Amino acid sequence: MSRRAADLPLASDSTRRTIPMIVGAMVYLAALALAGTFALDGTVRQWSDSLRGALTVQLPGVAGAPDGVEAQTRIDTATAVLLETRGVLSVATVPHEEAQSLLEPWLGAGDLPPDLALPILIDVRVDNEAGINFELLAQRLEDAVPGARLNDNGIFLRRLVTLARSVQFVGIVVVAIVALAAVSIVVFATRAGMTSHRETIELLHLIGARDSYIARRFVGHALYYGLLGGFIGLVLAAVTVAGLVVAAQGLGDMLLPRLSLGYEVWIALLCVPIASALISMVTARTTVMRTLRRMP
Amino acid sequence: MVRFENVAKRYGHGPEVLRDLTFQLRPGSFHFLTGPSGAGKTTLLKLMYLAQRPSRGTIEMFGHDVGKMRRNDLPPLRRRIGVVFQDFRLLDHLSALENVALPLRIAGARREQIEAHVSELLAWVGLAGQINARPSTLSDGEKQRVAIARAVIGRPNLLLADEPTGNIDLAQGLRILHLFEELNKIGTTVVIATHDRSLITTFGRPELRLSNGELTLHKAAPAPATPHPDAEPARQA
Repeated sequence: MSRRAADLPLASDSTRRTIPMIVGAMVYLAALALAGTFALDGTVRQWSDSLRGALTVQLPGVAGAPDGVEAQTRIDTATAVLLETRGVLSVATVPHEEAQSLLEPWLGAGDLPPDLALPILIDVRVDNEAGINFELLAQRLEDAVPGARLNDNGIFLRRLVTLARSVQFVGIVVVAIVALAAVSIVVFATRAGMTSHRETIELLHLIGARDSYIARRFVGHALYYGLLGGFIGLVLAAVTVAGLVVAAQGLGDMLLPRLSLGYEVWIALLCVPIASALISMVTARTTVMRTLRRMP
Repeated sequence: MVRFENVAKRYGHGPEVLRDLTFQLRPGSFHFLTGPSGAGKTTLLKLMYLAQRPSRGTIEMFGHDVGKMRRNDLPPLRRRIGVVFQDFRLLDHLSALENVALPLRIAGARREQIEAHVSELLAWVGLAGQINARPSTLSDGEKQRVAIARAVIGRPNLLLADEPTGNIDLAQGLRILHLFEELNKIGTTVVIATHDRSLITTFGRPELRLSNGELTLHKAAPAPATPHPDAEPARQA
């Protein structure tokens, strides 16, 4: 008996090839959803950091004389209102050229029409802990400079964070659905295995095998396709994620903050095939034990 | 050893195939179980090897009331029972040696112990040269002997055989019955279900006769001189 043969020839089952592929596809989807959730978390943090404590004041521009006296008066008046407010840390007017460059993507490079009144932008840094009443500040600016608008980046940030959290929730739901689908597949495969080996199982039962002895055979089989499928899915997911990171780097900082995938993401991805193997094992054992309980 | 009291068995909502069976088998006894086809011999054996539960009545095996035992406590009891199935029930993906080794594996015996015992037993049943053969390559007689070796490898207290000679010729049947006698001599209780009256006559053992779901005990007729394993038994009309 040089090499001990298995009591239950599960290795020759037709599911031996198909189930790892299905598990692999599920691990792939779960890993991508997980990576997306983590990446979004990092991106939101970057957005939060860059926008935290920042306001923009927009004053009506002066057509034909962007650097004229009237424009400067509006800037000085608004700056005075801002600096009087407790919690405002700094105030800086965005140079006219910089404001022009912001419009280049839409209006093209070169001289803008002289009668176009570009709004005057003022960057304001505030202490978030100071409890500034932004509605009151906006009203005071409007009173001082008619047409002045206060853009609270916090509103945008809160909406962004809400959206991001919703997307993350969807990602977690996807992972949960994939896990449930994996459980269903393992239950199906285990039951199929038990049906095709019913006579062998009955024999083992009759000659004194405990349920746990029979279940161990199926658990070993489930561990095999859980790990193999997990490995296949993980490799595909890693390649996809790495490709997306490279593609995102090509975008530079134009639209999105730099897509960051820290070590915790890779650790989480490594956990997916392990989770897949554990889910497969526990599901297989539970299925076998429940089915065997019907035997005398 | 085995005690049945008012045991009955029905399948689903059908009629009772066994009715009010009351009997006792003493340790070291040897019985033939007979009866026409459909009399319930296989069902009775299944009750004895704990493959089925009775519809009513009490079954005691080795001093334990089976009906009161938890399901988890039954496997050790099953290991004390060796069964030779009518259709052998050998596993085709295993060699003869691995088939015979199954009960020892299940009982958790060490690999070296298994190899030594199984090889020895296969030699005893005349299959020393076939230990690595798959069941599909063996004759019916050889399969039967592998099945018998598997039934006795764990030194069972009770050996049950369902038509063990049904698929083989007379000479091989005799040889197998002699194996059972050898086991009986070392204390194993033996019950053999058979249609073959010549074997019953030849071996002169008491007979449990099933008819219409009821059981009667018939004492042994005086046995003729012990036949040689290779001798032809006298056929009864």
